[in-house]
Amino acid sequence: MIEILSKLLHNFYYLIAIILFVIGFHTMLSHSNLIKKIMGMNIMETAIFLFFVSIGYVEGGRAPIIQPGQEHIYVNPIPSALILTGIVVAVSVTAFALSLIVKIYQHYGTVDAEEIMLIRSRET
Amino acid sequence: MTSLAVHFPALVVVNLLICSFVMPVLDRWKKNLVIPVALGSMALSFVFSIHLAVRVSVEGAFGYAMGGWVAPWGIEFVVDHFSVFMLLTLTGVGLLILVYATQDLVHELKEDVLGWYYTLYLLLMASMVGLALTNDLFNLFVFVEICAIASCAIISIKENRECIEASLKYLILSAVGSGGMLLGIAMIYMVTGHLNFTHVTEALPQAFELYPRNIMVAMALFAAGIGVKAALFPLHVWLPDAHSSAPSPSSAILSGLVIKVYAAVFIKLFLKMFPWEAYEAIPLMTIVLIMSSVGIVMGSMFAIVQEDIKKMLAYSSVAQIGYVFLGIALLSQNGTLGGILHIFNHALMKSMLFMAAGAIIYCTGVRRISDLKGIGTKMPMVMSVFSIGAFSMVGIPMTNGFISKWYLAIGALDVDKPLYVAVILLSSLLNGVYYLPIVVNAFFGEHKGNFQMSRKLPLQMAIPLIILASAIIITGIFPRLMLDLADKAVLFLLN
Repeated sequence: MIEILSKLLHNFYYLIAIILFVIGFHTMLSHSNLIKKIMGMNIMETAIFLFFVSIGYVEGGRAPIIQPGQEHIYVNPIPSALILTGIVVAVSVTAFALSLIVKIYQHYGTVDAEEIMLIRSRET
Repeated sequence: MTSLAVHFPALVVVNLLICSFVMPVLDRWKKNLVIPVALGSMALSFVFSIHLAVRVSVEGAFGYAMGGWVAPWGIEFVVDHFSVFMLLTLTGVGLLILVYATQDLVHELKEDVLGWYYTLYLLLMASMVGLALTNDLFNLFVFVEICAIASCAIISIKENRECIEASLKYLILSAVGSGGMLLGIAMIYMVTGHLNFTHVTEALPQAFELYPRNIMVAMALFAAGIGVKAALFPLHVWLPDAHSSAPSPSSAILSGLVIKVYAAVFIKLFLKMFPWEAYEAIPLMTIVLIMSSVGIVMGSMFAIVQEDIKKMLAYSSVAQIGYVFLGIALLSQNGTLGGILHIFNHALMKSMLFMAAGAIIYCTGVRRISDLKGIGTKMPMVMSVFSIGAFSMVGIPMTNGFISKWYLAIGALDVDKPLYVAVILLSSLLNGVYYLPIVVNAFFGEHKGNFQMSRKLPLQMAIPLIILASAIIITGIFPRLMLDLADKAVLFLLN
């Protein structure tokens, strides 16, 4: 038990990333408000980014800018570079989702998924 | 020419990407150039694919380093038998759907978004071709995201209520899927330190001994992520709305190609990358087998009760993607061959059926199945083509649907799982229950004046239908054509 706890404490950034992931996932599935769903989606994606970036972290490392004559420990730059792309992708997905929600609001006058279901079932 | 030919693996994607970004400019500047340029770039990619296929059959698999940066530093594309099989399917069927789209879209979309449609279409094609070729995990993720956004956008471009809603549902669920896949990539990168498939494949067996949990979690995340995107049975909830409300060319490409491409990604990851010892630790393939066989039966059950013809076709896609995954998960040579072959065969059948349904809607405006009685006498060509597709779905000999089902059944017997033969048989009967009444009623039903022929079918819409229908018959009678390529792909995957 104590062994597991100390392991968790040692890797607390992974733990926090997973907790954030679960919070985001839960928000996304349980809320009927579409805007909140998108927020949950963003929290989830941020958690994954945090997880990915923390893989590349080296204790005491610094940014990998190599200056001649100086020896340092550097962090792994690849995860950060990849996540930069990931953030761009996440932003565009969010923008697209929000613009779809604007359209939905124009058609239904609400952004609540349950109310939309009610409106649709009343019509058919 | 020879120096340019070296770059064909990149050009097949880049050509589509560039043309896709040129479309909005052309749309403002020279409107009449939009369609020729879009068709030209699709045709060019098709030619590139044929060239690559010929080169692979002569030289065997080869790699291409993006920008001259070799594997650990740069992104690598690998052209092997499986990826050229996917390339030919994607670009060939994609070209035919685009020809069809040039006429059909005019009545389905507002005029000011017409040019944008080609942007999205080419972007979607580029991402799918990229997924077939890529040999890099993170590049895979980027293409998956492009594919997800583009495929949602070609649904919502119609801007009516059903499309927007279906598109948002699809977008949210596929964001969960890509999130899962990215987390899976993180898990693999964590234990192997590589992103290139070849390097990961080498590093995984050793990593599995040290960190089995990471790899098992990664497998689960990949399976769930791909499952959502490929609409594997319990995760299919977005598919019927999305595929049925979209404009007909979008339905054709989404049902025919997009869900298949994720099956191809599944094959690439699970048959080539993950170590075999991992399958002894978690029964992933058994889970996929059960999911797909439940999907095969339930998808057909749902399809039977549908009133709307496009919704019926969409539920039928849920069942058909089950065949592909069933074949993959059987893990026998013939089963995998059947699964891979079904990717091609179903791409032909389903895109053709959606286009035939689109042609009926274009000419008469009828969507309800019960209103289609007697339509065979009014539109004999479209309904004959539809019947060929329906026969192929049921798996009647002389059509290509029979060939892939035959290999699936043999594959199931090879590994002593006769239960799955029964599943295939049952589903063929169920397919008959919902496809054949449409055919029978269309030709022999009494026309009650439910519909008028408001438009004649233009040539651009008729030609793709005829080509696809003849392709179904030809590959049904002479299956060797695609079978040889698929056979080599399977040997390459399972060796």
